[in-house]
Amino acid sequence: MNPEEMKELKELIEFLKENKIGEFDLERGDLKVRIKFAQEGGADAAGLARLLAAAQQSVAAPAVVSTVPVVHAVHASAPASAAAEAPVDENAGLHIVKSPIVGTFYESPSPGTPAFVKVGDQVENGQVLCIVEAMKLMNEIESDATGEVVKRFVQSGQPVEYGQPLFAVRQR
Amino acid sequence: MDQSGRYSPQSAPATEDGFDLAAADAALAGTPFAGKLRYFPTIHSTNTYAMQQADAGAPEGMVYLADEQTAGRGRGAHAWSSPPGSGLYVSVLLRPRMAPADALWLSLAAGLAVRAAVEEVTSLRADLRWPNDLLLGRRKFCGILTELNAEVTRVRHAVVGIGINVHQEQFPEELRTLATSLCIETGRNWARQDLLLALLQSLQREVSALTSATNHAESILRRLEGASSWIRGRRVRVEEGEGFSGITEGLDARGFLVVRTAEGLRTVYSGGVREDHSATVR
Repeated sequence: MNPEEMKELKELIEFLKENKIGEFDLERGDLKVRIKFAQEGGADAAGLARLLAAAQQSVAAPAVVSTVPVVHAVHASAPASAAAEAPVDENAGLHIVKSPIVGTFYESPSPGTPAFVKVGDQVENGQVLCIVEAMKLMNEIESDATGEVVKRFVQSGQPVEYGQPLFAVRQR
Repeated sequence: MDQSGRYSPQSAPATEDGFDLAAADAALAGTPFAGKLRYFPTIHSTNTYAMQQADAGAPEGMVYLADEQTAGRGRGAHAWSSPPGSGLYVSVLLRPRMAPADALWLSLAAGLAVRAAVEEVTSLRADLRWPNDLLLGRRKFCGILTELNAEVTRVRHAVVGIGINVHQEQFPEELRTLATSLCIETGRNWARQDLLLALLQSLQREVSALTSATNHAESILRRLEGASSWIRGRRVRVEEGEGFSGITEGLDARGFLVVRTAEGLRTVYSGGVREDHSATVR
């Protein structure tokens, strides 16, 4: 896990805390991350963020993370039973839209045009949220939930992995 | 075709190089494209139109072609110059039964399909610049842009848009070192109809093999290696993120280009690959 990914993971954890999401699974290439907050997890989460900050300075970051009781970072070769169908606690009402392919994330149909959606927009199931491009194949990513876009996880032009979270939608 | 010339260059002026859709339908009998060609004297973009039609439920195999595009598109903000009567501008609607991640093979297969069609008609052997630009010498004469609409686990529809420079006798100054046409390369005016038919037939072969044959991905990788001077040992600049330079070192198992840089191997997912003219690779 490189420093950039560690930074993203920290942001993700902050987001999960803010929205009081109990459990979260992430698959990104060879890396699987499972985050589970303890009940009343504020203190644990803060401790986790501190540990992650420390881990960021470590070369063997994933190993450090895996020693934290509430976070398990495992490589794909390890048992992957943790990867559940629904990545987010259903009770939280948040749905994570993930990338179905590896590629480059674009927020708009072409540079200089308005973004498909902004945080705060109401979106319908089937509405195009962004494009992920690989090999000159432009993949329109649709929302598979209806509700409000509450978070965009990546910047336009940034590479994304298979299964990487792109948007969070608060379902209605 | 063969030297006896089933595909003879037209003696008629390029401006009279029209399409005979009835003859095309007959020639395409047995393919998903027979009876599904739609021709536009002028249109904004055949790809945009095809994606709209696909959303509205148009069937697999629809082919949209235009004499002129007023807003022909390439990747990102790149336009594809499509003046009337000079090129083959065509978008093909496919509904392949595959997962979105596998659809990337369509992009590579489309380049091979166009290359085969151009060779069949003109005997020219084009160079493929990853992922699917077609070049003659160092100049590009064909671009392909594929657009995909998919659910998480399956492709709903894909539109493969192909633009081939056919009759252009010259290009504006700023494009002259970058662009060429079949006319410039051979001094002849090739019939767009012949190119269209050869292209649809070779595309059908590729798509059919992709969705039914096993190991077709390996076949694509192998043929790309044979058809492209860009895949190994080429010093390139990659316009991805902040951009980087290096020497190409083959394709990975998914068909992504691998480039050796000063910092190690990097995988190119989407960036445009160009010749690197800088003195040192850093």
